[in-house]
Amino acid sequence: MQTKTPQHLIEIFKTQQGAVYQCNSKNAFCLEFGNSRSFFKISDFLNFTKKINNIDVAEMAKNTSRHADIAIVMPHYTERCFVLTITDIIALREILNGAKFMLQLNSILRECMTSLA
Amino acid sequence: MKDLLRLRTSLSEEIEALLNEQIKTEAYSSAVYLAMSAWCNRNGFDNSSKYLEKQSYEEREHMMKLFRFVNDMGGHAISPEITNIPQEFESFKSVFEIALQQEISVTAQFNRMADRCFKAKDFMTFQFIQWFLKEQIEEEYVARRVLELFEVIGEEGTGRWEIDKHIPKVHYDGDSEE
Repeated sequence: MQTKTPQHLIEIFKTQQGAVYQCNSKNAFCLEFGNSRSFFKISDFLNFTKKINNIDVAEMAKNTSRHADIAIVMPHYTERCFVLTITDIIALREILNGAKFMLQLNSILRECMTSLA
Repeated sequence: MKDLLRLRTSLSEEIEALLNEQIKTEAYSSAVYLAMSAWCNRNGFDNSSKYLEKQSYEEREHMMKLFRFVNDMGGHAISPEITNIPQEFESFKSVFEIALQQEISVTAQFNRMADRCFKAKDFMTFQFIQWFLKEQIEEEYVARRVLELFEVIGEEGTGRWEIDKHIPKVHYDGDSEE
């Protein structure tokens, strides 16, 4: 079920599994994933991305014990707890890294515009 | 679109990581100097013990300078986790050989950082680390001169006692002629 995105959120990056939006009024990012939204402050968003990228997916796939099939991630300052399968992690990585790339591109473009002005 | 990344900090992710790595190196150096100071104290080299304690304090000051800079730039300064500090040393001379090695590796790290800052066009950090590069001239000079005392005085007889007496007197006055 796709929830309606409020108008004040600017889309940064979107895939079929979810999206990242920027909220200019709160100076925060909104992650839409698994049919719910979580808001992150800038540094928390970057930390969360790092955390997701650091999950050892190969080890999860190799490990035959039952608990190894999922990764539990609790980002700071949110009430949400992410319970992720390997496919969730891959999908989430795509969204977060895609968003991070677009944010870095935005920084570069703004810098170029400033130097040209 | 508002640039939230830039609003948070003036540091790029790469430079912030390099600065945090340097914070850890300085903290490690400080801890190693302190271990050296304790070793010298245990073995009766009182002057060297005090000299190394002072060095340890200086390294911590360097660490704090970097730490404050990361914070001031809006970055995330990480309080480092320091492990594997050597507590025993082969000899009086080996203490100062290790000290020189440590200083050489710190210089190399700052050179690498200067190179990365230049490539990333981060001239604020580039300018900030000039102080450290200049400081490394002194650090390496003093560490080399101390080690040379072992050759000049010699370790035989009362040699080590003499070396210990002279170590606190070694200082760099490279700027005095300017």
